[in-house]
Amino acid sequence: MKKGRVWKYGDDVNTDVIFPGKYTYSVLEPEEMARHALEDLDPDFARKVKPGDVIVAGRNFGCGSSREQAATCLKHAGVQAVIAKSFARIFFRNAINQGLPVLQSEEAVDSIATGEEIEIDFSSGKIKTKKGVFTFSPFPESVLGILEEGGLIPYTRKKLKGKK
Amino acid sequence: MGQTIIEKIIQNHTKEDVKPGKIVWMNLDIRSARDFGGPNVVKNYEREYGNAPLAEREKTFFTFDLCVPACSLKYADNQQVCRQFAKKMGIKVFDVDSGIGSHVMIEEGLAQAVSTVVGTDSHLNILGAVGCFGQGMGDVDITFAFKTGKTWFEVPETLKIVVKGDYAFPATAKDLTLYVLKKLGTHKAALKAVEFYGEAVKDLSLSGRITLCSMVTEMAGIIGFVPETSDSLREEVRELSGSEFSPLQPDEDSAYSDELEIDISGITPQVAAPYSPDNVRNISELKGVKIDTGFIGSCTNGRTEDLAQAAQILKGRKIKDGVTLKVVPATKRVYKEILERGILEDLFRSGAIIGSPGCSGCAEGHVGLTGEGEVQVSTGNRNFAGKQGKGQTYLASPAVVAASCLAGQIVSPEDL
Repeated sequence: MKKGRVWKYGDDVNTDVIFPGKYTYSVLEPEEMARHALEDLDPDFARKVKPGDVIVAGRNFGCGSSREQAATCLKHAGVQAVIAKSFARIFFRNAINQGLPVLQSEEAVDSIATGEEIEIDFSSGKIKTKKGVFTFSPFPESVLGILEEGGLIPYTRKKLKGKK
Repeated sequence: MGQTIIEKIIQNHTKEDVKPGKIVWMNLDIRSARDFGGPNVVKNYEREYGNAPLAEREKTFFTFDLCVPACSLKYADNQQVCRQFAKKMGIKVFDVDSGIGSHVMIEEGLAQAVSTVVGTDSHLNILGAVGCFGQGMGDVDITFAFKTGKTWFEVPETLKIVVKGDYAFPATAKDLTLYVLKKLGTHKAALKAVEFYGEAVKDLSLSGRITLCSMVTEMAGIIGFVPETSDSLREEVRELSGSEFSPLQPDEDSAYSDELEIDISGITPQVAAPYSPDNVRNISELKGVKIDTGFIGSCTNGRTEDLAQAAQILKGRKIKDGVTLKVVPATKRVYKEILERGILEDLFRSGAIIGSPGCSGCAEGHVGLTGEGEVQVSTGNRNFAGKQGKGQTYLASPAVVAASCLAGQIVSPEDL
Protein backbone atom coordinates (compact mmCIF):
# COMPACT_ATOMS: atom_id res chain seq x y z
CA MET A 1 0.00 0.00 0.00
CA LYS A 2 1.28 3.41 -0.98
CA LYS A 3 -0.35 6.58 0.33
CA GLY A 4 -0.69 9.61 -1.86
CA ARG A 5 -2.34 13.00 -1.89
CA VAL A 6 -4.83 13.66 -4.69
CA TRP A 7 -4.80 16.34 -7.38
CA LYS A 8 -8.20 16.12 -9.06
CA TYR A 9 -9.08 17.45 -12.53
CA GLY A 10 -11.99 17.13 -15.01
CA ASP A 11 -12.62 15.46 -18.39
CA ASP A 12 -10.49 15.79 -21.55
CA VAL A 13 -7.27 17.00 -19.93
CA ASN A 14 -5.12 17.36 -23.06
CA THR A 15 -1.37 16.97 -23.46
CA ASP A 16 -0.95 20.66 -24.35
CA VAL A 17 -1.91 21.57 -20.78
CA ILE A 18 -0.01 18.64 -19.27
CA PHE A 19 3.22 19.65 -20.99
CA PRO A 20 3.18 22.88 -23.03
CA GLY A 21 4.21 22.62 -26.69
CA LYS A 22 6.65 25.50 -26.35
CA TYR A 23 9.04 23.28 -24.38
CA THR A 24 8.78 20.20 -26.58
CA TYR A 25 11.51 21.29 -28.99
CA SER A 26 14.18 21.36 -26.35
CA VAL A 27 15.52 17.94 -25.55
CA LEU A 28 15.16 18.39 -21.81
CA GLU A 29 16.20 16.27 -18.90
CA PRO A 30 13.24 14.63 -17.12
CA GLU A 31 13.76 16.68 -13.95
CA GLU A 32 13.42 19.88 -15.94
CA MET A 33 10.29 18.52 -17.68
CA ALA A 34 8.81 17.90 -14.24
CA ARG A 35 9.09 21.60 -13.43
CA HIS A 36 6.61 22.38 -16.24
CA ALA A 37 4.12 19.60 -15.47
CA LEU A 38 0.48 20.74 -15.81
CA GLU A 39 1.72 24.32 -16.22
CA ASP A 40 -1.26 25.49 -18.29
CA LEU A 41 -3.88 23.66 -16.21
CA ASP A 42 -2.75 24.20 -12.65
CA PRO A 43 0.27 26.48 -12.13
CA ASP A 44 0.48 25.37 -8.46
CA PHE A 45 0.99 21.73 -9.32
CA ALA A 46 4.67 21.67 -10.24
CA ARG A 47 5.62 23.78 -7.21
CA LYS A 48 3.63 21.80 -4.66
CA VAL A 49 3.57 18.21 -5.93
CA LYS A 50 5.23 15.68 -3.63
CA PRO A 51 6.56 12.21 -4.41
CA GLY A 52 3.72 9.70 -4.19
CA ASP A 53 0.95 12.16 -5.11
CA VAL A 54 -1.83 10.87 -7.35
CA ILE A 55 -3.61 12.58 -10.25
CA VAL A 56 -7.32 11.79 -10.49
CA ALA A 57 -9.27 12.88 -13.57
CA GLY A 58 -12.35 12.27 -15.69
CA ARG A 59 -12.68 10.84 -19.17
CA ASN A 60 -10.14 10.92 -22.01
CA PHE A 61 -7.13 11.98 -19.93
CA GLY A 62 -4.11 12.76 -22.09
CA CYS A 63 -5.91 13.48 -25.37
CA GLY A 64 -4.20 15.48 -28.11
CA SER A 65 -0.59 15.53 -29.22
CA SER A 66 1.50 12.37 -29.00
CA ARG A 67 4.21 14.03 -26.90
CA GLU A 68 5.96 11.54 -24.66
CA GLN A 69 6.85 14.39 -22.30
CA ALA A 70 3.28 14.45 -20.97
CA ALA A 71 3.92 11.08 -19.31
CA THR A 72 7.60 11.72 -18.54
CA CYS A 73 6.96 15.02 -16.74
CA LEU A 74 4.31 13.46 -14.46
CA LYS A 75 6.46 10.46 -13.62
CA HIS A 76 9.45 12.62 -12.78
CA ALA A 77 7.29 15.03 -10.78
CA GLY A 78 6.88 12.04 -8.48
CA VAL A 79 3.31 11.14 -9.42
CA GLN A 80 2.83 7.50 -8.40
CA ALA A 81 -0.24 6.90 -10.57
CA VAL A 82 -2.95 8.56 -12.61
CA ILE A 83 -6.50 7.37 -11.96
CA ALA A 84 -9.04 8.38 -14.59
CA LYS A 85 -12.40 7.32 -15.98
CA SER A 86 -10.61 6.66 -19.28
CA PHE A 87 -7.35 7.49 -21.03
CA ALA A 88 -6.55 8.63 -24.56
CA ARG A 89 -4.60 5.76 -26.04
CA ILE A 90 -1.36 7.45 -27.01
CA PHE A 91 -0.97 8.83 -23.49
CA PHE A 92 -1.95 5.45 -22.02
CA ARG A 93 0.83 3.76 -24.01
CA ASN A 94 3.37 6.47 -23.21
CA ALA A 95 2.59 6.20 -19.50
CA ILE A 96 3.03 2.43 -19.48
CA ASN A 97 6.17 2.71 -21.57
CA GLN A 98 7.52 5.21 -19.01
CA GLY A 99 6.54 2.96 -16.12
CA LEU A 100 3.81 5.33 -14.86
CA PRO A 101 0.77 3.31 -13.71
CA VAL A 102 -2.51 4.44 -15.27
CA LEU A 103 -5.62 3.08 -13.56
CA GLN A 104 -9.19 3.18 -14.79
CA SER A 105 -12.08 3.32 -12.34
CA GLU A 106 -15.17 5.49 -12.80
CA GLU A 107 -16.43 4.85 -9.27
CA ALA A 108 -13.14 5.71 -7.62
CA VAL A 109 -12.87 8.94 -9.58
CA ASP A 110 -16.40 9.98 -8.59
CA SER A 111 -15.75 9.34 -4.92
CA ILE A 112 -12.34 10.97 -4.56
CA ALA A 113 -12.00 14.64 -3.62
CA THR A 114 -9.01 16.83 -4.37
CA GLY A 115 -6.50 16.99 -1.55
CA GLU A 116 -7.57 13.76 0.15
CA GLU A 117 -5.10 10.99 0.88
CA ILE A 118 -5.72 7.68 -0.84
CA GLU A 119 -3.92 4.35 -0.87
CA ILE A 120 -3.27 2.23 -3.94
CA ASP A 121 -2.50 -1.45 -3.79
CA PHE A 122 -1.14 -2.41 -7.19
CA SER A 123 -0.87 -6.11 -6.49
CA SER A 124 -4.50 -6.59 -5.49
CA GLY A 125 -5.87 -3.84 -7.77
CA LYS A 126 -7.48 -1.77 -5.01
CA ILE A 127 -7.84 1.93 -4.35
CA LYS A 128 -8.70 2.89 -0.76
CA THR A 129 -10.41 6.27 -0.39
CA LYS A 130 -12.34 8.08 2.36
CA LYS A 131 -15.60 6.74 0.92
CA GLY A 132 -14.58 3.14 0.44
CA VAL A 133 -12.45 0.66 -1.42
CA PHE A 134 -12.60 0.51 -5.21
CA THR A 135 -11.09 -1.98 -7.60
CA PHE A 136 -9.40 -1.30 -10.92
CA SER A 137 -8.98 -3.84 -13.68
CA PRO A 138 -5.58 -5.50 -13.36
CA PHE A 139 -3.14 -4.96 -16.21
CA PRO A 140 -2.84 -7.65 -18.86
CA GLU A 141 0.29 -9.74 -18.38
CA SER A 142 2.20 -8.27 -21.32
CA VAL A 143 1.67 -4.74 -20.02
CA LEU A 144 2.38 -5.68 -16.42
CA GLY A 145 5.79 -6.94 -17.50
CA ILE A 146 6.59 -3.50 -18.97
CA LEU A 147 5.39 -1.67 -15.84
CA GLU A 148 7.30 -3.97 -13.51
CA GLU A 149 10.55 -3.30 -15.36
CA GLY A 150 9.93 0.45 -15.08
CA GLY A 151 9.07 1.03 -18.72
CA LEU A 152 9.43 -0.30 -22.26
CA ILE A 153 13.14 0.48 -22.64
CA PRO A 154 14.32 -1.37 -19.52
CA TYR A 155 11.87 -4.13 -20.44
CA THR A 156 13.39 -4.44 -23.91
CA ARG A 157 16.91 -4.29 -22.52
CA LYS A 158 16.10 -7.25 -20.32
CA LYS A 159 14.41 -9.13 -23.17
CA LEU A 160 17.30 -8.53 -25.56
CA LYS A 161 19.78 -9.70 -22.90
CA GLY A 162 17.71 -12.83 -22.33
CA LYS A 163 17.97 -13.65 -26.04
CA LYS A 164 21.76 -13.58 -26.11
CA MET B 1 -16.96 -14.81 -35.86
CA GLY B 2 -15.71 -12.58 -38.65
CA GLN B 3 -13.34 -9.70 -38.32
CA THR B 4 -13.65 -5.95 -38.76
CA ILE B 5 -11.10 -4.01 -40.83
CA ILE B 6 -8.77 -3.15 -37.94
CA GLU B 7 -8.88 -6.76 -36.71
CA LYS B 8 -8.06 -8.04 -40.21
CA ILE B 9 -5.13 -5.67 -40.70
CA ILE B 10 -3.66 -6.56 -37.30
CA GLN B 11 -4.30 -10.26 -37.96
CA ASN B 12 -2.23 -9.88 -41.13
CA HIS B 13 0.66 -8.71 -38.96
CA THR B 14 0.64 -11.15 -36.05
CA LYS B 15 0.52 -14.88 -35.41
CA GLU B 16 -1.55 -14.36 -32.26
CA ASP B 17 -5.34 -14.58 -32.29
CA VAL B 18 -6.75 -11.12 -32.78
CA LYS B 19 -9.82 -10.13 -30.83
CA PRO B 20 -10.97 -6.84 -29.27
CA GLY B 21 -9.45 -6.05 -25.87
CA LYS B 22 -6.48 -8.34 -26.37
CA ILE B 23 -2.95 -6.98 -26.46
CA VAL B 24 -0.88 -8.49 -29.26
CA TRP B 25 2.63 -7.99 -30.56
CA MET B 26 2.39 -6.94 -34.19
CA ASN B 27 4.81 -6.42 -37.06
CA LEU B 28 5.21 -2.98 -38.55
CA ASP B 29 5.73 -2.31 -42.26
CA ILE B 30 6.88 1.28 -41.77
CA ARG B 31 8.11 3.23 -38.75
CA SER B 32 8.85 6.90 -38.86
CA ALA B 33 9.79 9.85 -36.69
CA ARG B 34 9.41 13.55 -37.30
CA ASP B 35 11.45 16.56 -36.33
CA PHE B 36 9.09 16.41 -33.32
CA GLY B 37 9.82 13.31 -31.28
CA GLY B 38 12.63 12.32 -33.66
CA PRO B 39 15.51 13.82 -31.63
CA ASN B 40 14.27 12.00 -28.54
CA VAL B 41 14.03 8.77 -30.55
CA VAL B 42 17.68 9.27 -31.55
CA LYS B 43 18.67 10.03 -27.96
CA ASN B 44 16.82 6.96 -26.65
CA TYR B 45 18.20 4.76 -29.41
CA GLU B 46 21.83 5.74 -28.95
CA ARG B 47 21.58 5.46 -25.18
CA GLU B 48 19.98 2.02 -25.25
CA TYR B 49 21.33 0.38 -28.37
CA GLY B 50 24.42 2.40 -29.25
CA ASN B 51 25.34 1.78 -32.89
CA ALA B 52 23.46 -1.53 -33.17
CA PRO B 53 21.61 -1.78 -36.47
CA LEU B 54 17.92 -1.01 -36.96
CA ALA B 55 15.48 -3.85 -37.62
CA GLU B 56 15.19 -2.87 -41.29
CA ARG B 57 16.61 0.45 -42.37
CA GLU B 58 14.67 0.49 -45.65
CA LYS B 59 11.43 0.49 -43.66
CA THR B 60 12.51 3.30 -41.34
CA PHE B 61 12.14 6.99 -42.17
CA PHE B 62 12.39 10.49 -40.85
CA THR B 63 9.75 12.91 -42.06
CA PHE B 64 10.39 16.54 -41.18
CA ASP B 65 7.15 18.49 -41.16
CA LEU B 66 6.74 20.47 -37.94
CA CYS B 67 9.02 23.43 -38.40
CA VAL B 68 10.22 23.37 -41.97
CA PRO B 69 12.65 24.87 -42.70
CA ALA B 70 13.76 25.44 -39.12
CA CYS B 71 12.79 28.84 -37.69
CA SER B 72 14.88 28.61 -34.54
CA LEU B 73 18.18 27.16 -33.49
CA LYS B 74 16.41 24.52 -31.41
CA TYR B 75 14.48 23.18 -34.39
CA ALA B 76 17.58 23.36 -36.56
CA ASP B 77 19.63 21.39 -34.04
CA ASN B 78 16.89 18.78 -33.64
CA GLN B 79 16.63 18.23 -37.38
CA GLN B 80 20.40 17.98 -37.68
CA VAL B 81 20.50 15.37 -34.88
CA CYS B 82 18.06 13.26 -36.93
CA ARG B 83 19.96 13.80 -40.20
CA GLN B 84 23.25 12.69 -38.67
CA PHE B 85 21.65 9.60 -37.16
CA ALA B 86 19.96 8.86 -40.49
CA LYS B 87 23.27 9.11 -42.34
CA LYS B 88 24.98 6.80 -39.85
CA MET B 89 22.15 4.26 -40.03
CA GLY B 90 21.37 4.58 -43.73
CA ILE B 91 17.82 5.84 -43.27
CA LYS B 92 16.02 8.01 -45.80
CA VAL B 93 15.03 11.49 -44.62
CA PHE B 94 12.08 13.31 -46.13
CA ASP B 95 13.68 16.63 -45.38
CA VAL B 96 12.32 20.12 -44.70
CA ASP B 97 11.22 20.54 -48.33
CA SER B 98 8.86 17.53 -48.36
CA GLY B 99 5.70 18.35 -46.43
CA ILE B 100 3.52 16.58 -43.88
CA GLY B 101 4.86 13.08 -43.25
CA SER B 102 1.53 11.23 -43.29
CA HIS B 103 0.63 12.80 -46.64
CA VAL B 104 4.10 12.20 -48.08
CA MET B 105 3.84 8.54 -47.09
CA ILE B 106 0.54 8.24 -48.99
CA GLU B 107 1.97 10.02 -52.04
CA GLU B 108 5.13 7.90 -52.01
CA GLY B 109 3.12 4.67 -51.79
CA LEU B 110 4.71 3.81 -48.44
CA ALA B 111 1.41 3.86 -46.61
CA GLN B 112 -0.73 1.39 -48.50
CA ALA B 113 -3.96 -0.41 -47.80
CA VAL B 114 -3.48 -3.28 -45.32
CA SER B 115 -0.03 -2.12 -44.23
CA THR B 116 0.97 -0.97 -40.73
CA VAL B 117 2.69 2.36 -40.09
CA VAL B 118 3.66 4.07 -36.84
CA GLY B 119 5.29 7.42 -36.17
CA THR B 120 5.51 10.30 -33.73
CA ASP B 121 2.41 12.04 -35.12
CA SER B 122 -0.87 11.81 -33.23
CA HIS B 123 -2.71 12.25 -36.54
CA LEU B 124 -0.96 9.36 -38.25
CA ASN B 125 -4.28 7.53 -38.12
CA ILE B 126 -5.06 9.71 -41.16
CA LEU B 127 -3.69 6.72 -43.06
CA GLY B 128 -7.04 5.02 -42.39
CA ALA B 129 -8.15 7.14 -45.37
CA VAL B 130 -6.28 4.68 -47.62
CA GLY B 131 -7.21 1.58 -45.60
CA CYS B 132 -3.83 1.52 -43.86
CA PHE B 133 -3.19 1.04 -40.13
CA GLY B 134 -1.57 4.27 -38.95
CA GLN B 135 -0.90 5.10 -35.35
CA GLY B 136 0.83 7.93 -33.58
CA MET B 137 3.01 6.98 -30.66
CA GLY B 138 5.47 8.51 -28.24
CA ASP B 139 9.22 8.49 -28.71
CA VAL B 140 9.84 5.43 -26.52
CA ASP B 141 7.44 3.34 -28.62
CA ILE B 142 9.06 4.56 -31.82
CA THR B 143 12.58 3.88 -30.53
CA PHE B 144 11.44 0.33 -29.84
CA ALA B 145 9.85 0.10 -33.30
CA PHE B 146 13.07 1.33 -34.97
CA LYS B 147 15.01 -1.41 -33.20
CA THR B 148 12.60 -4.32 -33.43
CA GLY B 149 10.09 -3.57 -36.19
CA LYS B 150 7.34 -4.48 -33.75
CA THR B 151 4.95 -2.87 -31.33
CA TRP B 152 2.47 -3.99 -28.68
CA PHE B 153 -1.09 -3.01 -29.45
CA GLU B 154 -4.44 -3.40 -27.77
CA VAL B 155 -6.92 -4.52 -30.42
CA PRO B 156 -9.73 -1.98 -30.26
CA GLU B 157 -13.42 -2.66 -30.60
CA THR B 158 -14.97 -1.31 -33.79
CA LEU B 159 -17.82 1.19 -33.91
CA LYS B 160 -19.96 1.27 -37.04
CA ILE B 161 -21.27 4.67 -38.05
CA VAL B 162 -23.79 5.03 -40.83
CA VAL B 163 -23.90 8.56 -42.18
CA LYS B 164 -27.38 9.19 -43.58
CA GLY B 165 -28.34 11.85 -46.07
CA ASP B 166 -26.13 14.17 -48.02
CA TYR B 167 -24.72 17.65 -47.88
CA ALA B 168 -24.22 20.40 -50.42
CA PHE B 169 -22.02 23.48 -50.68
CA PRO B 170 -21.42 25.66 -48.70
CA ALA B 171 -21.17 22.54 -46.49
CA THR B 172 -18.08 20.47 -47.30
CA ALA B 173 -16.25 17.36 -46.10
CA LYS B 174 -14.90 19.39 -43.16
CA ASP B 175 -18.43 20.32 -42.10
CA LEU B 176 -19.49 16.68 -42.32
CA THR B 177 -16.48 15.85 -40.15
CA LEU B 178 -17.16 18.56 -37.57
CA TYR B 179 -20.84 17.58 -37.47
CA VAL B 180 -19.93 13.94 -36.82
CA LEU B 181 -17.54 15.14 -34.09
CA LYS B 182 -20.34 17.23 -32.58
CA LYS B 183 -22.59 14.16 -32.47
CA LEU B 184 -19.94 11.80 -31.11
CA GLY B 185 -18.15 14.16 -28.74
CA THR B 186 -15.03 12.69 -27.21
CA HIS B 187 -16.83 9.74 -25.62
CA LYS B 188 -18.84 7.70 -28.12
CA ALA B 189 -15.93 6.68 -30.33
CA ALA B 190 -13.37 6.74 -27.53
CA LEU B 191 -10.72 4.02 -27.82
CA LYS B 192 -12.49 2.47 -30.81
CA ALA B 193 -11.75 1.93 -34.44
CA VAL B 194 -14.51 3.45 -36.53
CA GLU B 195 -15.93 2.24 -39.84
CA PHE B 196 -17.92 4.92 -41.65
CA TYR B 197 -20.65 3.93 -44.08
CA GLY B 198 -23.25 5.75 -46.18
CA GLU B 199 -23.45 7.40 -49.61
CA ALA B 200 -22.03 10.73 -48.48
CA VAL B 201 -18.82 9.18 -47.14
CA LYS B 202 -18.54 6.68 -49.98
CA ASP B 203 -18.48 9.62 -52.38
CA LEU B 204 -15.70 11.43 -50.51
CA SER B 205 -12.55 12.07 -52.51
CA LEU B 206 -9.19 11.15 -50.98
CA SER B 207 -8.88 14.67 -49.63
CA GLY B 208 -12.32 14.44 -47.99
CA ARG B 209 -11.49 11.05 -46.50
CA ILE B 210 -8.27 12.45 -45.09
CA THR B 211 -10.26 15.27 -43.46
CA LEU B 212 -12.72 12.83 -41.89
CA CYS B 213 -10.14 10.25 -40.80
CA SER B 214 -7.77 12.89 -39.40
CA MET B 215 -10.33 14.05 -36.87
CA VAL B 216 -11.06 10.58 -35.52
CA THR B 217 -8.21 11.58 -33.17
CA GLU B 218 -10.37 14.43 -31.85
CA MET B 219 -13.27 11.98 -31.49
CA ALA B 220 -10.86 10.10 -29.15
CA GLY B 221 -11.00 7.16 -31.56
CA ILE B 222 -8.08 4.98 -32.56
CA ILE B 223 -8.53 5.13 -36.34
CA GLY B 224 -11.27 5.59 -38.93
CA PHE B 225 -11.90 3.67 -42.15
CA VAL B 226 -14.28 4.28 -45.04
CA PRO B 227 -14.66 0.77 -46.50
CA GLU B 228 -16.84 1.62 -49.49
CA THR B 229 -14.95 3.15 -52.38
CA SER B 230 -15.90 4.68 -55.70
CA ASP B 231 -14.16 4.12 -59.05
CA SER B 232 -12.93 7.68 -59.08
CA LEU B 233 -11.38 7.29 -55.63
CA ARG B 234 -9.56 4.10 -56.58
CA GLU B 235 -8.23 5.88 -59.68
CA GLU B 236 -7.21 8.94 -57.62
CA VAL B 237 -5.23 6.86 -55.10
CA ARG B 238 -3.65 4.73 -57.82
CA GLU B 239 -2.50 7.78 -59.73
CA LEU B 240 -1.18 9.48 -56.61
CA SER B 241 0.64 6.58 -55.00
CA GLY B 242 1.61 4.66 -58.12
CA SER B 243 0.15 1.39 -56.92
CA GLU B 244 -3.20 -0.39 -57.03
CA PHE B 245 -5.65 0.58 -54.30
CA SER B 246 -7.43 -2.43 -52.83
CA PRO B 247 -8.48 -1.83 -49.23
CA LEU B 248 -9.83 -4.64 -47.08
CA GLN B 249 -13.51 -5.12 -46.44
CA PRO B 250 -14.84 -6.36 -43.09
CA ASP B 251 -16.33 -9.85 -42.87
CA GLU B 252 -20.10 -9.92 -43.12
CA ASP B 253 -20.44 -11.44 -39.66
CA SER B 254 -17.92 -9.16 -37.98
CA ALA B 255 -18.87 -7.85 -34.55
CA TYR B 256 -19.28 -4.15 -33.79
CA SER B 257 -19.36 -2.69 -30.30
CA ASP B 258 -22.18 -0.44 -31.40
CA GLU B 259 -23.87 0.90 -34.50
CA LEU B 260 -24.83 4.57 -34.74
CA GLU B 261 -26.67 6.57 -37.35
CA ILE B 262 -25.83 10.20 -37.96
CA ASP B 263 -28.13 12.13 -40.25
CA ILE B 264 -26.28 14.94 -42.01
CA SER B 265 -29.14 15.98 -44.31
CA GLY B 266 -29.06 19.69 -44.93
CA ILE B 267 -26.17 20.57 -42.61
CA THR B 268 -24.84 24.10 -42.81
CA PRO B 269 -21.16 24.97 -42.32
CA GLN B 270 -19.94 23.94 -38.86
CA VAL B 271 -17.43 25.77 -36.67
CA ALA B 272 -15.65 24.53 -33.54
CA ALA B 273 -15.32 27.33 -30.97
CA PRO B 274 -12.41 27.62 -28.50
CA TYR B 275 -11.06 25.67 -26.67
CA SER B 276 -12.11 22.22 -27.77
CA PRO B 277 -12.51 20.67 -31.23
CA ASP B 278 -15.80 19.05 -30.22
CA ASN B 279 -17.27 22.41 -29.20
CA VAL B 280 -18.98 22.49 -32.61
CA ARG B 281 -21.77 24.96 -33.50
CA ASN B 282 -23.79 25.74 -36.57
CA ILE B 283 -22.15 28.72 -38.23
CA SER B 284 -25.28 30.81 -37.58
CA GLU B 285 -24.44 30.81 -33.86
CA LEU B 286 -20.99 32.29 -34.46
CA LYS B 287 -21.61 34.62 -37.38
CA GLY B 288 -20.14 38.03 -36.77
CA VAL B 289 -17.28 36.92 -34.52
CA LYS B 290 -14.49 39.31 -35.50
CA ILE B 291 -11.28 37.66 -36.67
CA ASP B 292 -7.70 38.86 -37.01
CA THR B 293 -6.20 36.06 -39.00
CA GLY B 294 -6.93 32.87 -40.94
CA PHE B 295 -5.02 29.68 -41.60
CA ILE B 296 -5.70 27.21 -44.42
CA GLY B 297 -3.67 24.03 -44.44
CA SER B 298 -2.73 21.22 -41.99
CA CYS B 299 -2.96 17.45 -42.30
CA THR B 300 -6.75 17.88 -42.11
CA ASN B 301 -7.23 20.42 -44.91
CA GLY B 302 -3.98 20.97 -46.76
CA ARG B 303 -4.56 19.15 -50.04
CA THR B 304 -5.01 20.67 -53.50
CA GLU B 305 -8.78 20.23 -53.35
CA ASP B 306 -8.91 22.14 -50.05
CA LEU B 307 -6.81 25.02 -51.36
CA ALA B 308 -8.84 25.08 -54.60
CA GLN B 309 -12.02 25.39 -52.52
CA ALA B 310 -10.56 28.45 -50.80
CA ALA B 311 -9.17 29.92 -54.03
CA GLN B 312 -12.57 29.72 -55.67
CA ILE B 313 -13.92 32.06 -53.02
CA LEU B 314 -10.87 34.33 -52.89
CA LYS B 315 -10.41 34.67 -56.65
CA GLY B 316 -10.72 38.27 -57.78
CA ARG B 317 -11.34 39.51 -54.22
CA LYS B 318 -9.16 41.04 -51.53
CA ILE B 319 -8.71 39.92 -47.95
CA LYS B 320 -10.09 42.56 -45.61
CA ASP B 321 -7.69 45.28 -44.47
CA GLY B 322 -6.14 44.39 -41.15
CA VAL B 323 -6.75 40.64 -41.60
CA THR B 324 -4.06 38.18 -42.65
CA LEU B 325 -4.48 34.77 -44.25
CA LYS B 326 -1.81 32.09 -44.09
CA VAL B 327 -2.05 29.28 -46.66
CA VAL B 328 0.20 26.25 -46.44
CA PRO B 329 0.13 23.30 -48.86
CA ALA B 330 0.40 19.88 -47.18
CA THR B 331 3.24 18.68 -49.40
CA LYS B 332 5.61 19.71 -52.17
CA ARG B 333 3.41 17.82 -54.60
CA VAL B 334 0.38 19.87 -53.54
CA TYR B 335 2.47 23.03 -53.96
CA LYS B 336 3.31 21.96 -57.51
CA GLU B 337 -0.35 21.26 -58.28
CA ILE B 338 -1.58 24.63 -57.02
CA LEU B 339 1.20 26.31 -58.97
CA GLU B 340 0.34 24.52 -62.20
CA ARG B 341 -3.40 24.98 -61.84
CA GLY B 342 -3.29 28.71 -61.17
CA ILE B 343 -4.62 28.28 -57.64
CA LEU B 344 -1.47 29.75 -56.16
CA GLU B 345 -1.92 32.93 -58.19
CA ASP B 346 -5.54 33.36 -57.06
CA LEU B 347 -4.48 32.93 -53.43
CA PHE B 348 -1.55 35.31 -53.76
CA ARG B 349 -3.53 38.02 -55.52
CA SER B 350 -6.19 37.93 -52.81
CA GLY B 351 -3.47 38.83 -50.31
CA ALA B 352 -2.72 35.43 -48.78
CA ILE B 353 0.71 34.53 -47.44
CA ILE B 354 1.95 31.21 -48.85
CA GLY B 355 4.13 29.13 -46.52
CA SER B 356 6.41 26.24 -47.36
CA PRO B 357 4.75 22.79 -47.15
CA GLY B 358 4.36 21.29 -43.69
CA CYS B 359 2.22 21.27 -40.56
CA SER B 360 2.58 25.01 -40.12
CA GLY B 361 -0.37 26.52 -38.23
CA CYS B 362 -0.80 23.50 -35.97
CA ALA B 363 2.85 23.44 -34.99
CA GLU B 364 4.03 25.78 -32.33
CA GLY B 365 6.08 28.51 -33.89
CA HIS B 366 5.80 28.03 -37.62
CA VAL B 367 3.93 30.39 -39.97
CA GLY B 368 3.00 32.47 -36.99
CA LEU B 369 1.40 32.09 -33.60
CA THR B 370 -1.52 34.01 -32.17
CA GLY B 371 -0.87 36.63 -29.54
CA GLU B 372 -3.06 37.27 -26.52
CA GLY B 373 -6.49 38.40 -27.66
CA GLU B 374 -5.86 37.52 -31.32
CA VAL B 375 -8.66 35.57 -32.97
CA GLN B 376 -7.88 33.00 -35.63
CA VAL B 377 -10.11 30.91 -37.84
CA SER B 378 -8.28 27.79 -38.96
CA THR B 379 -8.78 24.65 -41.03
CA GLY B 380 -6.70 22.71 -38.49
CA ASN B 381 -7.96 20.03 -36.17
CA ARG B 382 -7.25 21.32 -32.66
CA ASN B 383 -8.05 24.55 -30.86
CA PHE B 384 -6.88 23.73 -27.35
CA ALA B 385 -5.76 26.64 -25.21
CA GLY B 386 -2.13 27.43 -25.97
CA LYS B 387 -1.96 25.15 -29.01
CA GLN B 388 -1.29 27.94 -31.48
CA GLY B 389 -0.27 30.68 -29.11
CA LYS B 390 -2.24 32.71 -26.57
CA GLY B 391 -5.09 33.67 -28.89
CA GLN B 392 -8.39 31.95 -29.65
CA THR B 393 -8.81 29.55 -32.54
CA TYR B 394 -12.02 28.59 -34.32
CA LEU B 395 -11.95 25.52 -36.57
CA ALA B 396 -13.77 25.54 -39.91
CA SER B 397 -13.63 24.48 -43.56
CA PRO B 398 -11.30 26.10 -46.13
CA ALA B 399 -14.37 27.76 -47.69
CA VAL B 400 -15.46 29.30 -44.38
CA VAL B 401 -11.93 30.44 -43.52
CA ALA B 402 -11.55 32.07 -46.95
CA ALA B 403 -14.94 33.81 -46.71
CA SER B 404 -14.25 34.94 -43.15
CA CYS B 405 -10.92 36.48 -44.15
CA LEU B 406 -12.71 38.50 -46.83
CA ALA B 407 -15.33 39.68 -44.36
CA GLY B 408 -13.10 40.13 -41.29
CA GLN B 409 -15.56 38.06 -39.29
CA ILE B 410 -16.89 34.53 -39.27
CA VAL B 411 -19.27 34.19 -42.22
CA SER B 412 -20.48 31.48 -44.55
CA PRO B 413 -19.41 31.75 -48.21
CA GLU B 414 -23.04 32.30 -49.16
CA ASP B 415 -23.13 35.50 -47.10
CA LEU B 416 -20.53 37.27 -49.22
